[in-house]
Amino acid sequence: MSLERCQSEWTEIEQEYQQLQETHKVYRQKLEELTNLQAICSSAISKQRKGLKDLKQSLYKCKKSCNGKDSEVINDLQVQIKERQNVFFDMEAYLPKRNGLYLNLVLGNVNVTLLSNQAKFAYKDEYEKFKLYMTIILMFGAVTCLFLLNYRVTDEIFNFLLVWYYCTLTIRESILRSNGSRIKGWWVSHHYVSTFLSGVMLTWPEGPMYQMFRSQFLAFSIYQSCVQFLQYYYQSGCLYRLRALGERNQLDLTVEGFQSWMWRGLTFLLPFLFFGHFWQLYNAVTLFRLSALDDCKEWQVFMLALTFLVLFLGNFLTTLKVVHQKLLKNKDKVKNN
Amino acid sequence: MLFNPTGLTECLQEWEDLEKDYQQIQDTHRHYKHKLEEVSKLQESCSSSIARQRKKLKDLSESLEECKGAVNPEDVNKIDDIQESIKERPNVFFEMEAFLPKKNGLYLSLVLGNVNVTLLNKQSKFAYKDEYEKFKLYLTVLLLFFSFTCRFLVSYRVVDALFNFLLVWYYCTLTIRESILINNGSKIKGWWVFQHYVSTFLSGVMLTWPDGELYQMFRNQFLSYSMYINFVQFFQYYYQSGCLYRLRALGERHNMDLTVEGFQSWMWRGLTFLLPFLFLGHFFQLYNGITLFQMTQLPEWKEWQVLMCGSTFLVLFMGNFFTTLGVVYHKYMDQDKAKGL
Repeated sequence: MSLERCQSEWTEIEQEYQQLQETHKVYRQKLEELTNLQAICSSAISKQRKGLKDLKQSLYKCKKSCNGKDSEVINDLQVQIKERQNVFFDMEAYLPKRNGLYLNLVLGNVNVTLLSNQAKFAYKDEYEKFKLYMTIILMFGAVTCLFLLNYRVTDEIFNFLLVWYYCTLTIRESILRSNGSRIKGWWVSHHYVSTFLSGVMLTWPEGPMYQMFRSQFLAFSIYQSCVQFLQYYYQSGCLYRLRALGERNQLDLTVEGFQSWMWRGLTFLLPFLFFGHFWQLYNAVTLFRLSALDDCKEWQVFMLALTFLVLFLGNFLTTLKVVHQKLLKNKDKVKNN
Repeated sequence: MLFNPTGLTECLQEWEDLEKDYQQIQDTHRHYKHKLEEVSKLQESCSSSIARQRKKLKDLSESLEECKGAVNPEDVNKIDDIQESIKERPNVFFEMEAFLPKKNGLYLSLVLGNVNVTLLNKQSKFAYKDEYEKFKLYLTVLLLFFSFTCRFLVSYRVVDALFNFLLVWYYCTLTIRESILINNGSKIKGWWVFQHYVSTFLSGVMLTWPDGELYQMFRNQFLSYSMYINFVQFFQYYYQSGCLYRLRALGERHNMDLTVEGFQSWMWRGLTFLLPFLFLGHFFQLYNGITLFQMTQLPEWKEWQVLMCGSTFLVLFMGNFFTTLGVVYHKYMDQDKAKGL
């Protein structure tokens, strides 16, 4: 290239650069306005929330001491208040907010609210894909450890992978929740328990106790990964359809258990799930027996037994509750017809 | 609320008031979402424009280099001028990008996924940085007490495991927070970032080391080492953040500069007294490495952790020692140059 052409190129770049600086300045200005608006919205919403809460309490008090006509008015108001609270929840999904305890401990107070719908969906999709891929990797890891390599080091790598997987899941779920996903209750705390479980597994030293439980644990891991693979696969398809029909929230997530919306088409998963839960119970029982042996010195055995029991109880009772509620509803329907 | 409604009419009145505010909030929120869209468009155009400029500048500096060989001396001056201006650009772009959202690096993608972690205004950036420094300081104190407790008061494997869990979590969190800070324009790099990944790995391996003769042999040494290191780090953070604060006020350091676990060139002013303590810490790491390697010679050696921890301590020693030595060496070279002038 000749010098002249270089120079003309340079002037062109220079022009674009000036323009970029201009755009950036405008951008910074708008950003500041945006931050102000965010602060205004957030504080107004929290004020309204407080007002609604007070009003709700007063209405509750009123309800006890009024006649039939008034109580209808009150009921009406209460329904409206509930709707209003939902609207605020949706609004807040687009506003930055302070992180909860867990995210604060891990990330500090960085804002994790995604501010556009596309970004939210993209993040959710990434989460689902991450779960699917990791489940497959974990399945292969468990198969390799069980049938091919019987080294303590590979077991340890597998356990490290488990700890990391569950840790990441809890972090990502917290982020998703601050973006408006309504996953809650046991299906969230379940991952914290699993993180703890795999952390303890990791520290369990090699020995006769470990070898006695090793194949059972790996077989359990393989089974669990298989079921979870099936679950994610069918759930995400089902969620996709329900979302298209507008029956589910856009940010609804797949879970490792059974939720009410899965009645349509996914009941065939139930026996597999229950089998998995009983396997957890079986693990707990095996470990309790091991911890009763004379040559058991490790604290991990008893701790793991307890954790498996907690997992079994949580999973089993939550699933049972969903089934129970569904059966009750069906009965009501039959009666009404 | 000052006003506490009791009767139904008062409740209805209250509801109407809330309703009015609600309408206003809806308007503000609509306005806000509209503005948000504008801002995201501007973000996109800025980011793509910067990327384009970068590419063009790269091409141009290549062609200028080619030109330089085949022109007369008068034109060489012109070329030098342009090259000088080109050199300043990357810094400007770096500043600009600190306020634009960007894709996360590999580590953050693995842990967080692709959530945007760029803090978009100066206050929140500083607040985040301050939080990071405070976090390090508090955790160091906590770890100091913990290692003291393990060393002198309670000797259970479970408590040791808890201590190691805390270490793993601490270093993990540090690596995550540092990645976020780098995303926000902190220029921390090289060994002082990498060191935390190595430390995470080390404490992870320590965590899996089962109780046994070898573990008990190394336990006290490791806990003493932890106590010493945390003690030094406490001093470091304390003095470094004071020093950084002053230098920042004088405009000599970048606003997002962080404290590190080692020695950097700006610490020459006032913090040289830390150097002997640091070097002692490095040699402690070397000593740990050697002790562990000696253990592998013993007949009762079975655990792979011994060898792995030994190598990791050696890596830590070499990284820390040579990086610090490099800084000291550079300083002496600079001083020699100043004398020569």
